Amino acid sequence: MSTPMTEQNAVDVRGVDKNFGRSRALDGLDLTVHTGQVAGFLGPNGSGKSTTIRILLGLLRADAGRVSLLGGDPWREAVQLHKRLAYVPGDVSLWPNLSGGQAIDLLGRLRGGLERDRVRAFTERFELDPGKKARTYSKGNRQKVALVAALASRAELLILDEPTSGLDPLMEAVFTECVLEAKAEGRTVLLSSHILSEVEKLCDTVTIIRQGRTVEEGTLDELRHLTRSSVRATVDGDPHGLEGVAGVHDLVVDGDRVTLEADHEHLDGIVRHLSSLGVRSLVSNPPSLEQLFMRHYGDARAEAENGKGGEAA
Amino acid sequence: MNALTGTGTLVRFMLRRDRLRLSVWVLALVGMVAASVPALDDMFTTDAERQSRAALMETPTGIVFGGPGYGLEDYQLGPMLVNELTMTVLIALAVLNVLHVVRHTRAEEENGRAELLRAAPVGPGAQPAAALATAALVDLLIGVSTSVSLIFFGLPTADSLAYGVGLGLAGIVFAAITAVCTQIFEHGRTAAGTAFLVVGVLFMARVVGDIARTGGNALSWLSPFAWVQQARPFDALEWWPLALYPVAAVVLFVLAHVLAGRRDLGAGLIAARPGPSGAGPLLRGILALHLRQQRGMVFAWSAGVFVLTFAFGSLAPEVESMVETNPDLAAFLGDDTEDLVGGFLGTIGLYALMGTGALSALSVLRARSEESAGRAELVLATAVGRVRWLGSALIVAVLATVLTTALGGLGLGLGTAVTLEDGAWIGRMTGATLAGLPAALVFGALVALLFGTAPRLVPLVWVWLGYSVFMTMLGALLGVPEAVMDASAFEILPAPPGEEAEAVPFLLYLAVVLLAGAAGLAGFGRRDLATD
Repeated sequence: MSTPMTEQNAVDVRGVDKNFGRSRALDGLDLTVHTGQVAGFLGPNGSGKSTTIRILLGLLRADAGRVSLLGGDPWREAVQLHKRLAYVPGDVSLWPNLSGGQAIDLLGRLRGGLERDRVRAFTERFELDPGKKARTYSKGNRQKVALVAALASRAELLILDEPTSGLDPLMEAVFTECVLEAKAEGRTVLLSSHILSEVEKLCDTVTIIRQGRTVEEGTLDELRHLTRSSVRATVDGDPHGLEGVAGVHDLVVDGDRVTLEADHEHLDGIVRHLSSLGVRSLVSNPPSLEQLFMRHYGDARAEAENGKGGEAA
Repeated sequence: MNALTGTGTLVRFMLRRDRLRLSVWVLALVGMVAASVPALDDMFTTDAERQSRAALMETPTGIVFGGPGYGLEDYQLGPMLVNELTMTVLIALAVLNVLHVVRHTRAEEENGRAELLRAAPVGPGAQPAAALATAALVDLLIGVSTSVSLIFFGLPTADSLAYGVGLGLAGIVFAAITAVCTQIFEHGRTAAGTAFLVVGVLFMARVVGDIARTGGNALSWLSPFAWVQQARPFDALEWWPLALYPVAAVVLFVLAHVLAGRRDLGAGLIAARPGPSGAGPLLRGILALHLRQQRGMVFAWSAGVFVLTFAFGSLAPEVESMVETNPDLAAFLGDDTEDLVGGFLGTIGLYALMGTGALSALSVLRARSEESAGRAELVLATAVGRVRWLGSALIVAVLATVLTTALGGLGLGLGTAVTLEDGAWIGRMTGATLAGLPAALVFGALVALLFGTAPRLVPLVWVWLGYSVFMTMLGALLGVPEAVMDASAFEILPAPPGEEAEAVPFLLYLAVVLLAGAAGLAGFGRRDLATD
């Protein structure tokens, strides 16, 4: 689904292509992040998430398409725009001879403002030891350094590229809290992630990309609506009659128990049919993000195996 | 599984990974020696010409870059090769071996790839052993190919073999020295710097020993730079000095192995200390960051350049007394001792410029490692623009180059002034060395240009540096045409105090340096950032 370009969008990417030599990294990619919202950015490895983020940061130049970041052109106005955003790379590399605390302060100063109190608060929340040299940090600790530097800034847009991939579950919880606080402060967040439960918890909208192309874009509810719910029921009558009912897929009958996948627009008719059989128990689950994701990812793999999806991701 | 499990596989892997790099080294070195043989033969056809060249090899400059002076009485093609080429080949071999060993040991630990390998069934000693084994293979290949080419040109077989193999064995000792250094220091850069420092001290030991006494004294014998010439190939060949090489290599290798057993993967022998929990007031901006990242390297180079040039400067009285006590030499060179000392110091100053030229390239190259490590991305995502980021790095490179070049001149001048008790040398040599500054800066500028426009081509700068050093050291001797010589970065400006400094070429050269730097900046503002 596409959103018209408006002033309100913190990020507006339309039809962006990016080639590296002969391989095509982005192929008409669309991405919208509404101001004040948390946007999830999902895709399998190598699908172009980091490339998109680097274009948003003006580190790479798009070959075609329109890119707007905070109302400006990230390639030409990089420095002005960067004063208003903070970035956490997927693979944080720090200066081995600087301590974590030094790196945080330096990044704050380079961004144009350092608030020592906020830095101290976030350092404590993430239980980071700022006195260690960066070369002794684990991946998770390097990520904490970049997170503290980003969160402690007052940047209106946070661009986070798989920020929790090295964090333990406790720190993930702290991260979730921090993102929700940032949202409450009115800041915008673009969150690229592999952790679907995290995205489900945090994100207002989700964009799923595959092979450099946007395959789904919208709120979680909208996306769920496009797919099916799983329904499990135990009935008194013979459930085989469900076979011909519109919107029923993957029907499995086991005695009086039945499981099926239901199209949303036909849910009403299916439930009526079940009810006519005499329902003893009924459970209906909306599709999880994982199912959404797996549907697209799974399609890609099936296509690749059939030799149709041969282009490089 | 023992300590060396997996060495064979790693040897093949290293050779595969470095096939281009090592081939270039082997071809360049063997090609240089092989091409020198007929060139020397053509240049010096009569006995008179040969003997006048031999007289030059008895001068202090001749001893510094020649050797202890064997075979000068009858300066035929064999002794000529040994005296004219040995130091160049040995220095090149030292560079090759230090870089190769660091690249495959400490640098791999630093970037985390060693961890991946060590998690496989690979023994803890396998990586250093394989690095040394590949270095030894390449060294011996260079040595034996050199022997074969000398035999091909009709030189005596035994002497050719002794000479070529001696060169190769010296290379192996340089690799073993590096293996010890990589065990002590945590960073590849520090390890390489220390290894180069040790090599420099060993070179200096031979120079001082050889100048003190014809044929060298005990100090010379401490240096692996001496042994191949102490075997006296093409003069009065004795094999036993060559045996010192394997002895030294084995001792050093065992030492490295023992040290390796005492430390963790990735750690140095000296533990990392904790740092401050916040940045001090000095670490404010991008220039401060670049300065901080490079200060260690700049300090080390400054100290190294100053100590070496001071040592050379303090040889001035020996230069004077050699001319005073040797009437033949005085007849050949003239008896104006001040000109003589000036000429000697000017030559050393040119070599100092070669060093600071390498530093200017290395300094700008730090920008490239910041980019490929992803740290540039982190900084450029803040309110720091491309031009400011690279521009600050270039400012640091210029400061480092000017500082080390000035210190090189100061070292020469001070060493001379102290030993000759004449303070005028300080200003004279500092000015003379700084007059060559553009020739050092140009390498950093070229790295900047390629980094901004075609980062993959950056290694070409090293090729040009190697070419320039070679042409300046040996071009005239080998009768290389002037046009080919002039492509050396060091042949563009006159070399004072021996030659008169000129303002216009200096300013033009500086303008070229600035243009290249500016083009690099413009290019970097336009290209995609790369991360590997």
